[in-house]
Amino acid sequence: MKINSSNRIFRILIAASLFFSCASDLDFDQTKDLKLEPVVVANFAYFDLPVSDFGYGGGGEIAFDAKEFEVFKQKFLRENIVRTDIDFELENTIPRAFIVDLQLLDANSQILETLRFDIPANSGSTNIIKYPTEVFQNQRLDLLKQTAQVGFVVRMLPGTPLDQNSTGNIKLRSGGTVYFEIQ
Amino acid sequence: MRQIRKVYLVLISAIQLTCFAQNKEILYNFTSIPQSSMLNPGADVSYNFYFGVPLLSGISANIGSSGFSAYDLFADNGVDFNDKVRSVINKTSNNDRVQVNQQLELFSGGFRIGGEKSQSYISFGAYQEFDFFMYMPKDPAILAMYGNQNYIGKSFDLADLSVKAEVLSVFHIGFHKKINKKLVVGGRAKLYSSGANATSTKNSGFIWTQQTEGTPNLYTQVIASHLELKTSGISSFTKDEYDRSIASDIARNTFLDGSLGLGIDAGITYYFKENLQFTASIVDLGFINQTKDIETLTYKGQYRYDGVKPNFSQTDEPGNIIDDFEKAIPRDTTYNKYTTWRPTKFYTSLQYSFGESRSSEDCNCKTSAKRKYANAVGGQLFLMSTPRTPFAALTAYYKRSISDGLDLKATYTVDAFSSKNIGLGFSGTVGKFNVYAMVNNLLELKDVTKANSMAFQLGFNFVFQDAEK
Repeated sequence: MKINSSNRIFRILIAASLFFSCASDLDFDQTKDLKLEPVVVANFAYFDLPVSDFGYGGGGEIAFDAKEFEVFKQKFLRENIVRTDIDFELENTIPRAFIVDLQLLDANSQILETLRFDIPANSGSTNIIKYPTEVFQNQRLDLLKQTAQVGFVVRMLPGTPLDQNSTGNIKLRSGGTVYFEIQ
Repeated sequence: MRQIRKVYLVLISAIQLTCFAQNKEILYNFTSIPQSSMLNPGADVSYNFYFGVPLLSGISANIGSSGFSAYDLFADNGVDFNDKVRSVINKTSNNDRVQVNQQLELFSGGFRIGGEKSQSYISFGAYQEFDFFMYMPKDPAILAMYGNQNYIGKSFDLADLSVKAEVLSVFHIGFHKKINKKLVVGGRAKLYSSGANATSTKNSGFIWTQQTEGTPNLYTQVIASHLELKTSGISSFTKDEYDRSIASDIARNTFLDGSLGLGIDAGITYYFKENLQFTASIVDLGFINQTKDIETLTYKGQYRYDGVKPNFSQTDEPGNIIDDFEKAIPRDTTYNKYTTWRPTKFYTSLQYSFGESRSSEDCNCKTSAKRKYANAVGGQLFLMSTPRTPFAALTAYYKRSISDGLDLKATYTVDAFSSKNIGLGFSGTVGKFNVYAMVNNLLELKDVTKANSMAFQLGFNFVFQDAEK
């Protein structure tokens, strides 16, 4: 009986030894190294301005507006964006040349930076210009992050006069490519 | 010791990351272990009485992660952690899941009722359970890791976010009766007390960016969100003024002040012939009414992002992007009670026995003087409800009685986590003292950190059969 019992215990120990196993070294501290670097594309600004909506101010200015742009009030965005590229595209179907000024304004309506885009008069064929990418990094990015409003100034350059029968539009399309580094 | 620490770390990390299957394929129908009644209350278990060693009678954990292992993410091999995360995101699908289930019996016991000739039994006990289940949030992970730049036209599916977790205690009482030589039936009533629950399994919506020629904007960007996270027993921890210990508060709530629920188990064993046995059981068919410290957080709505558009012809109407977004998809908090269903498990098996056992003289005389077979082979099916399609596992097994006091069971299981999961368990009895231990995925034991799933159960009982004559 005794022998039998110890024999059983021995067998149980053998079986139990099956439960020993090995494990590679794991390092859980490396989760601290997690860095998300998503690249997000998003609309930035756009308009579609027909001749019929033109107002005629001084210096050829035919349209002006400033819009709130409170994206950078978000702390998360201010802190985690490391670079922003903005692409602009203008389309002009009016037989006059234009200059579009896009103003980055701070909370006190002071101009931080003006982006200027020239587009020639439409001469019949497709008249779309894609401008070189505006890259915001370092100090220029810091200025961008202070932007609280975006101002749009559209000026018409001298040329053939327009009348009430004139048609056409000037269209702006733009999108940002935003590089995040979230740690 | 170091290994134990590692295994512990793996368990913890898996709990943090994913969720697991609750299949206990080795313990199922292993009738020399009283705890097999917990998987089939109609299991053909017999004893005069038994009690489990408190806190040590049933310790079990199941961890599963289809698609990636702890090693893939945490290996100490010099590879940049972000590269590991990217590789895991790339190789997993939104149907990969992480699952953790852990149970600890606080006490358990059972006894025969109705005298020596009777074959009716009462069993009872209490255990603590932790469940975690999460599907791989593939699309949100891609968006967070890479952004939408290279995914124009793709609709990021928010339904990929599906996760639930619960800590609960279960008090149960069961009854089983061997009606005749062929049939055993049993049932168990359960009272659940949930200390903490988080459920976010009914999400839908998408984040979509498209580029279409001829539209007034560069991109068409839409977020449609139907996100909902229900919690019970958790929201007070998130408040600023909370200054107690979360662990002890959850423990207290789990046993003394939880959200209550009810459930049943039911099962049968049927012998077509003396050596051809069929079993089936359903476990945790029940619900919990989540009523304590409840909070539901939702983000529901739709938002189309167009960017800044000047209004040249009129004076400006106020409004800005962030406000518009928060109005379109508001964060709402509500405080409604909700009901959660327990993950319901279904087992069935068919077993063929052969080879009479060499009965030793000092036999412990199981109640009925039936023939005892030394070998059994069989197949088992396991099903479990999940937030999407049920989890299924198929097991083939071989069981052998080495002697009256030692039984072994070997299993081969195919499921979502592994196609070659070999498990082994034993039940050993010395005198009245019963020890059982089982572990699966033996092929992965050479490095558990690389395993997609691991499970073990072990426990100690005192089992008293009929007094020796």
